[in-house]
Amino acid sequence: MEKGYLCIVLHSHLPYVRHPEYEDFLEEDWLYEAITETYIPLINVYNGLIRDGVNFRITMSITPSLCSMLADPLLQDRYVKHLDTLIELSNKEVERTRWEPAFNRLALMYQSQFIETRRTFVDRYHKNILSAFKEFQDMGKLEIITCNATHGFFPLMEVNPQSVRAQVQVGANNYERFFGRRPRGTWLAECGYFPGADAYLKEAGIRYFFTDTHGILHASPRPKYGVYAPVFCRSGVAAFARDFESSKQVWSAIEGYPGDYNYREFYRDIGFDLDFDYIRPYIHKEGIRINTGIKYYRITGRTDHKEPYNPDWARERAASHAGNFMFNREKQVEFLHDVMKKNPIIVAPYDAELYGHWWYEGPMFLDFLFRKLHFDQKTVKPITPSEYLERNPRNQVSTPTMSSWGYKGYCEHWLDGSNDWIYKHLHKAADRMTELANSYPGATGITRRALNQALRELLLAQSSDWAFIMKTGTVVQYAVKRTKDHILRFTRLYNDIKAQRIDEGWLADIEHKDNIFPEIDYRVHT
Amino acid sequence: MKKSSKAVKKAGKLPAARKAKPAKKPVKKPADQKKALMKALRKAAGRVKKAVPQKAAQAIESPRNKTEETKYYPRPTPYLPPRQWEHEELPERYGDTRIVIMARDPYWIFAYWEVTDERRMQVEREAGASWNEMRKVLRVYDVTGKDFNGFNANRYFDIDLHPGSTSWYINVGAADRSWCVDFGVITPSGKFIVIARSNIVVTPRDGASDVIDEEWMSIEEEFLKLYGLWGGFGGTSPGKAKIKKIMKERLQQELSSGGLSSFVRPPNYKGRGFWMVVNTELVVYGATEPDATVTVQDRPIKLNRDGTFSLRFALPDGEQVISVKGISADKEEERTITPIVKKFTK
Repeated sequence: MEKGYLCIVLHSHLPYVRHPEYEDFLEEDWLYEAITETYIPLINVYNGLIRDGVNFRITMSITPSLCSMLADPLLQDRYVKHLDTLIELSNKEVERTRWEPAFNRLALMYQSQFIETRRTFVDRYHKNILSAFKEFQDMGKLEIITCNATHGFFPLMEVNPQSVRAQVQVGANNYERFFGRRPRGTWLAECGYFPGADAYLKEAGIRYFFTDTHGILHASPRPKYGVYAPVFCRSGVAAFARDFESSKQVWSAIEGYPGDYNYREFYRDIGFDLDFDYIRPYIHKEGIRINTGIKYYRITGRTDHKEPYNPDWARERAASHAGNFMFNREKQVEFLHDVMKKNPIIVAPYDAELYGHWWYEGPMFLDFLFRKLHFDQKTVKPITPSEYLERNPRNQVSTPTMSSWGYKGYCEHWLDGSNDWIYKHLHKAADRMTELANSYPGATGITRRALNQALRELLLAQSSDWAFIMKTGTVVQYAVKRTKDHILRFTRLYNDIKAQRIDEGWLADIEHKDNIFPEIDYRVHT
Repeated sequence: MKKSSKAVKKAGKLPAARKAKPAKKPVKKPADQKKALMKALRKAAGRVKKAVPQKAAQAIESPRNKTEETKYYPRPTPYLPPRQWEHEELPERYGDTRIVIMARDPYWIFAYWEVTDERRMQVEREAGASWNEMRKVLRVYDVTGKDFNGFNANRYFDIDLHPGSTSWYINVGAADRSWCVDFGVITPSGKFIVIARSNIVVTPRDGASDVIDEEWMSIEEEFLKLYGLWGGFGGTSPGKAKIKKIMKERLQQELSSGGLSSFVRPPNYKGRGFWMVVNTELVVYGATEPDATVTVQDRPIKLNRDGTFSLRFALPDGEQVISVKGISADKEEERTITPIVKKFTK
């Protein structure tokens, strides 16, 4: 009989980046990289576990913006093109590395991986991998949860509760369209919670969400079981909190598994390493070097000198890290069980893109972990939050504190000197959206289209990703562009709707560009 | 302070921190305040100048400092050159008179505001003074537990603003309290005129709640044990004060990646020493009859339509014997040419 539960949560998210107006758009690569390096490897892991009769449970958020991209025909076709180019490059690499066996072996590995990826993506899932995840969910192995429609960060949206509602409602409706039922749980973007946000989840029929550790530890009244049991908010929606210990083992830069010297080095990519003329056809059209995904080195050590990657060694490390992770969870569960006199739940959430994209061996680690959990022990049982709540319908009532899983635990990453200028515009646009929704409760025809598009533009502007990027300082110009584009489009729609002079040609153009959430209904923003 | 500036230097290594502009200088002359508060505020203001707009950002002997040496940003990657897009600018003002506040963390709130010209003129008339000669002030009210009506705050303090500022980071220094902020002017006669009143925000709690749920009552000792467990210091109860400190340190660690490489972890050029890499590749090219069969080191290759071919190999140290064999389409003729290439590096 088990003594506790392990709830692995993978949060997969990318901002909505889709530019039909450009032939080759750098930031679209985020999606392509993630499909090749994370989503398809995860699908392969799940398929393998099912094939071998391993009873596993993973909770996975696929955000509405990511769902929308994965289901978008333009991006699907562009991905296949991208993949074909990669296969071509890997063919060349197999030839180029002929005299270097250590690299040649890796070139062959990538070549077969890419070809296999194409087969999975095109032949097996007909370019729509959402159907794969849906299958796993229908089998009861995977619990797919939703997220705020465009990953809007709630603690900084509190002055516009209508936007919080719209983010939740649009997200839940989007989920229903793709997965054929209402979402049971949600991932609040960046774990951003403020007291009261749960009420909007309740309205959408969502039963649980997650906070960072301190969200629950600092909840009031004081939670009896700390983070090892969920609490019910006043609304009756359950809040689960991240367990620090299991997070640290994977995330932590110092002690974390991904830093093992035998693992693949992320930062050495042939897109940067090889001769410009040779690599030119495989990088950005304007000659900007980018990651191709072909990486030949292992971390090696704290040194610039890198040794060739050895897949066998890496595999062994992944297996032993999975064993270590399981061992620690067993000890943790046994101890907690003693203290609590009931089964603890250990919630271990991660960005999905850590697995595979950052940490190349991550999917393999998960594969080993669930096999070991299934075959080698009985103390810890993988579980989904829904299953937990079915078994434990009675939980303490408490209100989590405002919190996020960002740097320093609150809002600082999304509110500092680099990005605080956006809130004036976001809040104003949200006020205006509420005004529109209230003034035109039963719009039809072109006015309705314009109102729906206005809400799309507002939601897109609200993606927490833009503020995040401004703060990290990577592709700042792009984040600024996106914020401004959407606010400007929104503002023009607002003015045009009020003046009853909607330019249909222009409206059709931005409907085509910002085509997210075709099912949207502007009236949710009230 | 010395410690703190060390932290700044460290943090400066992080591109993210480097990017971050310091919060606008907060809090100059808190009127009506206890000395202790003033002191705290001044101290905070001093720090902010050093680009640490955060009370919690002290030099803690925590893994945070070490985080910089991590796998996730160990070395620079060349990255995207800046790109520019044409677009209209967003409006500076929306023609409102309003102030909005947001809680950033347990100790800081952010305020932004806007005043219409009409309202300005109205205020000037009311005050009998010109806009420029009046002190612009944020009056920060602690309204915890109150149905705030402008006069029943638990306490308040004023912040003198720089002329022309439209936003401010306010160090309220107290977690789990409710706040309301007025933007206003102080007339030459010392009267405070409210121009706009903000929404109310609550700063988040920074420690465990003191409210014990009767129905679920647990003993302090047991709770601390669980609380301690979370931090990974085993089953010991480290005591309340220590726990709070450790909690702060934990929160300094970044335990989320924030997504894809392309938009996290920008490269870090500074701090990197000089470096150089040299590699060699060899191009083997030639031509024959377009319908001939060619092998290179016994492996068949594909000819271009005109019978030319070009192969590119990474060239390691050592000797490469590159036998290139061509066979005519009717298999009657055969020719082998074998370049031998020796490479060594000194």
